[in-house]
Amino acid sequence: MTNVATGAGTATTGAQIVSEDDVVRVEDLRLSFYTTLGVVRALNGVSFNIPRGKVLGVVGESGCGKSQTGLSIMQLTPGRIEGGRILFREFNTSEEIDIVKLDKNGPEMRKIRGNHISMIFQEPMTSLNPCYTVGHQIEEAILLHQTQDKAEARRRAVDILRKVGMPNPERIADSYPHQLSGGMRQRAMIAMALSCNPTLLIADEPTTALDVTTEAQILDLMRELQHEIGTSIMFITHNMGVVAQMCDEVAVMYLGRIIERAAVDDIFYNPKHPYTISLLRSIPRLGVARGQKLESIKGTVPDPYSTVPGCPFHPRCPAAIPGLCDAVMPDEVFVDGSRTHTVRCHLYT
Amino acid sequence: MDTAQKNGKSDEILLEVRGLKKHFPIQSGFLRRVTGYVKAVDGIDFYIKKGETLGLVGESGCGKSTTGRTILRLLDPTAGEIIFDDPNIGKVDLAKLNRAQLKRVRPNMQIIFQDPFSSLNPRLTVGQIVGEPLEIQKVASGQALKDRVAELLQEVGIRPENMTRYPHAFSGGQRQRIGIARALALNPKLIVCDEPVSALDVSIQAQVLNLLEDLQEKYDLTYLFIAHDLSVVEHISDRVAVMYVGYIVEMASTEQLYYHPKHPYTEALLAAIPKPDPRKRTRPIKLPGDVPSPANPPSGCYFHPRCRYAEEICKVERPPLRDIGGEHWVACHFAEKLQLQGVTPLNEIPLVELPKRQATAPATTAAAT
Ligand SMILES: Nc1ncnc2c1ncn2[C@@H]1O[C@H](COP(=O)(O)OP(=O)(O)OP(=O)(O)O)[C@@H](O)[C@H]1O
Ligand SMILES: Nc1ncnc2c1ncn2[C@@H]1O[C@H](COP(=O)(O)OP(=O)(O)O)[C@@H](O)[C@H]1O
Ligand code: SF4
Ligand code: SF4
Ligand SMILES: [Mg+2]
Ligand SMILES: [Mg+2]
Repeated sequence: MTNVATGAGTATTGAQIVSEDDVVRVEDLRLSFYTTLGVVRALNGVSFNIPRGKVLGVVGESGCGKSQTGLSIMQLTPGRIEGGRILFREFNTSEEIDIVKLDKNGPEMRKIRGNHISMIFQEPMTSLNPCYTVGHQIEEAILLHQTQDKAEARRRAVDILRKVGMPNPERIADSYPHQLSGGMRQRAMIAMALSCNPTLLIADEPTTALDVTTEAQILDLMRELQHEIGTSIMFITHNMGVVAQMCDEVAVMYLGRIIERAAVDDIFYNPKHPYTISLLRSIPRLGVARGQKLESIKGTVPDPYSTVPGCPFHPRCPAAIPGLCDAVMPDEVFVDGSRTHTVRCHLYT
Repeated sequence: MDTAQKNGKSDEILLEVRGLKKHFPIQSGFLRRVTGYVKAVDGIDFYIKKGETLGLVGESGCGKSTTGRTILRLLDPTAGEIIFDDPNIGKVDLAKLNRAQLKRVRPNMQIIFQDPFSSLNPRLTVGQIVGEPLEIQKVASGQALKDRVAELLQEVGIRPENMTRYPHAFSGGQRQRIGIARALALNPKLIVCDEPVSALDVSIQAQVLNLLEDLQEKYDLTYLFIAHDLSVVEHISDRVAVMYVGYIVEMASTEQLYYHPKHPYTEALLAAIPKPDPRKRTRPIKLPGDVPSPANPPSGCYFHPRCRYAEEICKVERPPLRDIGGEHWVACHFAEKLQLQGVTPLNEIPLVELPKRQATAPATTAAAT
């Protein structure tokens, strides 16, 4: 196998965290876009797992591949998957399905999508249809996957709207999306996504467009429902505050790769990768160093058409080792002795 | 710590706003008759001192941008006074000036917008964008103009060689820098920053915030800093004003407002900040219902339908914004009585040092694999 993206080194996953109870295990996922301006290597060997009932936060700057990773699991990416596996195991089965091998539009994928795996987006109108009432849309989803009984579907739809904290669920069920506020639409979308008790929920920046007050309530709600249903959540965000409040485990992405992966406490209290450390040092913290300059990461993320030799972070890394970091791609390794904390950086190899 | 003293900020007031209102007419029907008003800004009072940063926060639609635009007279106020201490002509009420008079004051007041992608004209080069205000005000032309533009770009960290390129060739953070260079062109006194870093990634956000602070120090700038990220506002502001449905409900020094809030709405906002510390998980204060529409606000205290401390009087009487001591302004009937929860500082997470560069690099690259 040749590694097109880096031109150097091999990208075999040296260390991947796995658990007995993973609902999804992504292995060495590669995704490209062939555009008139050139090839964009959006994902360059992404590997991670999400254990049952856990919330995995996926963080990184815009363009690093967070959304494309989520869309690949749903087989909704417009790009081309060039390699890797996405092993999925639904509730109460031991059978693993490789999603990459399924036909995008075939019956098996349709059954997984929206039933076993749901996705919610930053902009609720991408998944709510403006022409139908909110209740109707949730009922349709329930009728498609769960029951044939219309009255029962209606009852369940109202029920789930109540669960997501809608003040008057019967009235909301009969409302069209445009009649609801931003926060209520987001709740309606969550209600729809959870109506089938999915094994996995992929949430792509679901609160980024909301006010802090609404955001806090939506996060609280997602936590509660997740405990109740046992759904695993892949929570995509670029907000470290949201990660700390919401996630059990965290994967930090940079330029189409996961560069650090650990339990949320380790990411904040024992970060290892220079990018993670720099990110944490550049966010303003309440009551800390007011009136002093924030630390910032020099430069910007390189443009997606270019390829960076060696470690993709080396042009911006304050700890880069000349002759090594600019030439050789670091392998993913376990942090000293740990089996739950991995990092991709030469400082630890 | 008194930040006002530390930064050599004065007590002189640069801008004072009194009873400012901006109502937008709601027109409906075939005849476009006015059937009501969106009271986007509904009688606000505040002041900004020379050289300070006043943060302005509040939920979406509460009137922050409308406030910013109205004080710059990009929108005409419905009522109220906007008293600006112009360095050349002294105190003037901007609300009363006509177009010609405004043109003389304008260079001293600028604005930076949120969206770095739509706020720059895509058909102009970077040089033209930054130079435009200089040309309009006939401050410079020819080589002098070019030199000034180059200097401004340098100041914000863009290489002057890029003068001939178009905005699409720049990243979000770079475009925001170009917008800042343009705002600086005429040596303004006051800059309204309307969500200047909201669209930027964390690492770029820090760069732009630092730039704004450097420029403030160097050019003695005064900022009205509008943002919804309360951690950013805490970092950059000397004082903070909180808006709710077109009304300022609390204004105080940053320390006072964050650690000793006196308004129930401020308390709820602070509780909702997603704190970047997994050992400090907080649950939001339940705010029933939605933000009311500014076209149809509730009676009495606008916050009463959502306020957990509301009493009968709150439904009928709107509390005025008053100073409860030490320049702490609050619009709540029970400001002195309530014991509200502020934030706790997040100084327990260690600021991890970056690993040291290895003294000697491995001799061959092969050593690593
Ligand atoms: N030109 C206009 N015509 C009618 N209504 C308007 C106009 N501009 C703003 N509004 C209304 O005025 C209110 C305040 O809007 P404004 O843009 O000032 O809010 P904001 O606090 O800046 O919100 P955000 O945080 O979303 O930027 C809103 O209800 C908005 O819909
Ligand atoms: N339709 C597309 N055509 C070409 N490139 C794309 C397309 N969608 C995404 N990309 C590229 O894929 C990379 C990852 O994008 P994305 O997953 O959306 O990032 P994130 O969600 O982390 O901001 C980026 O470099 C982006 O430019
Ligand atoms: S591998 Fe080198 S350049 Fe990359 S993060 Fe580690 S030290 Fe920095
Ligand atoms: S005046 Fe009454 S309703 Fe308004 S904030 Fe104070 S206690 Fe709450
Ligand atoms: Mg995205
Ligand atoms: Mg605004």
